[in-house]
Amino acid sequence: MSSRSKFRSARAQASRSCSRRELLRRGVCGAAGLAGLHMLSNLGLISSAAAQGGPGDYKALVCVFLFGGNDSYNLLVPRDGAHYAIYQATRQGLAIPQATLLPITALTSDGSLYGLHPSCPELRTLFQSGRLALVANVGSLLAPMTKAQYQNGTVQSPPQLFSHNDQQFQWMTSIPDTIEGYGWAGRVAELLRSLNSATPLSMNITLSGANTWQVGPTVIPYNLDTGGPSSLDGFNGTQGQRRLQAFQALLDKPNTHLFETAYADVQKRAIEIDALISSTLSNSPPLATQFPSGSYLSSQLRMVARMISIRQALGVRRQIFFCSTGGFDTHDNQLTDQPGLLANLSTSLNAFQLAMVELGTMADVTTLTASDFGRTLSSNGHGTDHGWGGVHLVMGDSVRGQDIYGTYPDLTLDGPDDVGSGRILPTTSVDEYSATLAKWFGVAATDMDTVFPHLSRFANPDLGFML
Amino acid sequence: MCHERSSATGWGRCVAGTLLVFAAQACSGGGGSSGLVPGPDPPANDVQTARFLTRATFGPSTEEIHRLSVIGYAAWFDEQVRYPVSLERPTLESMAAHQDISQDQRLEQWWKNAIRKPDQLRQRMAFALSELFVVSDVAGVLQNDPIGVAEYYDILARGAFGSYRTLLEDVTKSPAMGKYLSLLKNQKADPAHNIRPDENYAREVMQLFSVGLKKLNPDGTDVLDTNGLPIPTYDQPVVEGFAATFTGWNYAGATSWDWPQPNYLPMEPWEQYHETAQKLLLDGTVLPGGGTAQQDLTAALDLIFNHPNVGPFVARALIQRLVTSNPTPAYVGRVAAVFANDGMGVRGNLLAVLKAVLLDTEAVNGPVDHPQTFGKLREPLLRLTALWRAFHAVPSGGRFRYHNPELHFGEAPLRAPSVFNFFAPDYLPPGPLLDAGLVAPEFQITTETRITSTTNRFYECTFEGWYGYPNPKSDTALVMINPEMALADDPPALVEHLNLLLMSGQMSPEMKTIVESMVTDTDANDPRQRVLEALYLIATSPEFAVQK
Repeated sequence: MSSRSKFRSARAQASRSCSRRELLRRGVCGAAGLAGLHMLSNLGLISSAAAQGGPGDYKALVCVFLFGGNDSYNLLVPRDGAHYAIYQATRQGLAIPQATLLPITALTSDGSLYGLHPSCPELRTLFQSGRLALVANVGSLLAPMTKAQYQNGTVQSPPQLFSHNDQQFQWMTSIPDTIEGYGWAGRVAELLRSLNSATPLSMNITLSGANTWQVGPTVIPYNLDTGGPSSLDGFNGTQGQRRLQAFQALLDKPNTHLFETAYADVQKRAIEIDALISSTLSNSPPLATQFPSGSYLSSQLRMVARMISIRQALGVRRQIFFCSTGGFDTHDNQLTDQPGLLANLSTSLNAFQLAMVELGTMADVTTLTASDFGRTLSSNGHGTDHGWGGVHLVMGDSVRGQDIYGTYPDLTLDGPDDVGSGRILPTTSVDEYSATLAKWFGVAATDMDTVFPHLSRFANPDLGFML
Repeated sequence: MCHERSSATGWGRCVAGTLLVFAAQACSGGGGSSGLVPGPDPPANDVQTARFLTRATFGPSTEEIHRLSVIGYAAWFDEQVRYPVSLERPTLESMAAHQDISQDQRLEQWWKNAIRKPDQLRQRMAFALSELFVVSDVAGVLQNDPIGVAEYYDILARGAFGSYRTLLEDVTKSPAMGKYLSLLKNQKADPAHNIRPDENYAREVMQLFSVGLKKLNPDGTDVLDTNGLPIPTYDQPVVEGFAATFTGWNYAGATSWDWPQPNYLPMEPWEQYHETAQKLLLDGTVLPGGGTAQQDLTAALDLIFNHPNVGPFVARALIQRLVTSNPTPAYVGRVAAVFANDGMGVRGNLLAVLKAVLLDTEAVNGPVDHPQTFGKLREPLLRLTALWRAFHAVPSGGRFRYHNPELHFGEAPLRAPSVFNFFAPDYLPPGPLLDAGLVAPEFQITTETRITSTTNRFYECTFEGWYGYPNPKSDTALVMINPEMALADDPPALVEHLNLLLMSGQMSPEMKTIVESMVTDTDANDPRQRVLEALYLIATSPEFAVQK
């Protein structure tokens, strides 16, 4: 409760000083003011920022959120005889035939052999070439827990388990029991903001709408369309200029109503950032890399690549992008629908990695997946229901690829990892997974508690999948 | 449009400066103004009248403001309830007889009903309900079933003034919902194949349509445990209990369980696929084994319907859709009390609930009592309906071929990205609203990209969307602004007229000055241009965007 009330008072202070917020957003205000406002330690801010290199230093995190909850135990499947038999006995009608699995060879072995879903040949190549790591059985947790502890309630479970929006929120905040609307990428951007002080563009850019992941106490994500920013029409000529002045005056005039202020803020930000990046984007050389057509995820990742291509012109040294693709809530028609969903993921990630090679940023950009939850190993007849732990992907040349991190669970129904109907208890927390990425991105060890308040409850603050 | 001239009598309540307009205005449906019978409960003034209509309809018109101001609330509600229900499916079916139809034609019918039909309260309520009981044609299973989706909207329109319990059952048995949340062909457990009932509908009917995730007090605030934490309404075993309850439903007339051909009729039970074991339901209730699919469904929906959460949950949802994003607990509590008992001992009377939402003292006094926070962001779709209704827009080419409003506004009827609607009821937009702890659902679709496309759409719908504009785009309707053009040489009168019609008389003095200056600075010999400049500035302004 104490941290909540602390945040409340911080919010109250912030709302009293809108101009201060604006200064902070532009990185004009000093580090001490920021720390005082938002309980991010002054010391931590300096250490995180000072840890970074000189000119040319650039890093980006790209999240691909698989909305709906991916059935990832059909993405990474045991293929050796004994373990496939367990998988097959559990999944029955939903099992991927053993002969169709795409075999992968992990550098370290847990005693099983694994294969990928047959619709993911690009992911297999990325894995085998060391550019893709798999992290098994990640999920939201408040603390490590055993099946017995889950069942007898001696360790608290995250609230509203198995609910889409709650589990999404928990992935994004990495604080399952928070009431604040801030995500871990927002807190990271808050700490590292001084690295982007040359630009009013937010460190956090979303290609896929509003999300909690990227929001910080003073960090407001910028929404970018797959076709670039939109520009306002109708302000040409003398009459148009007159109209523009009046339109602008209505945005700039003081508003007594907070909703009006908020609306004007969004429109003003849209105009400001459009002016900042539209011409730079349109003057930048086109990407040679071809992205799959007809894929919303690919068009998002293509725009991310284009933004990365103008990083130096924009003067940004850290960027965090949010993309997403939906349809993973396969209660029905799973066998029909999931192959297309995974093929889209596989081809889109592959194109993005090729674009990073084209730009020479393949070691500067790391892509991660997130999802509401895994799904039940048991079937509802045509598909699966909401589960818990699942497998995730991390891609880029700074990834220690061709390996499986975390612990792949026992897929036996009612086995030691199953808390009911094949809902798998996570053995790696979202905190551990995310902190490993945040550390690579430049968050200092002393700041980890600020970004991930529950991290110290878990065994592995660094899972080791980043170089 | 009818062209009956209205007499000057009965216009006495109009604000100064608008008499000319009323005299010149062609009248709308519903009969001549001279026949209006003054009622005992008119709104206190024109501002109240316009504000009420902004909430209760797809937008006020000069005629409707006058009408309500004379006949009063009770007569207006009675009239609205008596209008025949404007539907979508029958029109689509008759079109389908001679052309291929798609969701495009469904959208055309939606626009026609929203803009032109007199049963405005019902249509507005149906739209609000479509954002509570969500199905979406984005889903592959519904994309090519415009008649099924249209019938779903018609269920909401027909049920808008009825019992929540009846509507809940109609929604549950609708094949559109059945496909969307996979209740259709949900079957009993088959342990030998590790198959158990589908939990999709079971979970979402509770989380999103009725009781919500947390136990609520009668005023919608969270019930807290001894540690000050909220208490879950149900847990996973209860979801599994409802999942088993909702088994054994298939298309009407299906002759095999795998029957593929969809239709729009209510689903029918197949007992051999229904789970007959006992089921654990809400709050420890155990449904005994042996019931039929219909008996179990009835019992389960009765249990949900009678849960104490439903009143405050539905009350808050409707208040948020129609009046304000952040109602006080007292307001939610008063509406929830009407849900519990409409005064005649009836629970779940949606017409009574709707009246309670719209006529509550907080709805009337909120803007004065909470001038910085009361109200809501107007859904962008409803900003356009307000413009088109205010100026009796005529669709370009005779039909409302506006098939993809989501491209401009981030929303379209029954086209949400998921069952979680276009926006969440607890969405906190980063910035001043999050800092103040205020939720503002509609801001979730008000992104930097979308706000600009919305603004640009209003450019098209004003400067390129007036009656007589050469070669208008097929997706616009054309505003009729002759009465406003008659005021163009009197900028303050023009702005005051538009203020009442579009902004319920709530335009700030600063905004009036800016808009009047723009009108004054525009060629005095071009009255149309003067009016369009004012319309554009208002339609794209922060003050218009916020319904107070």
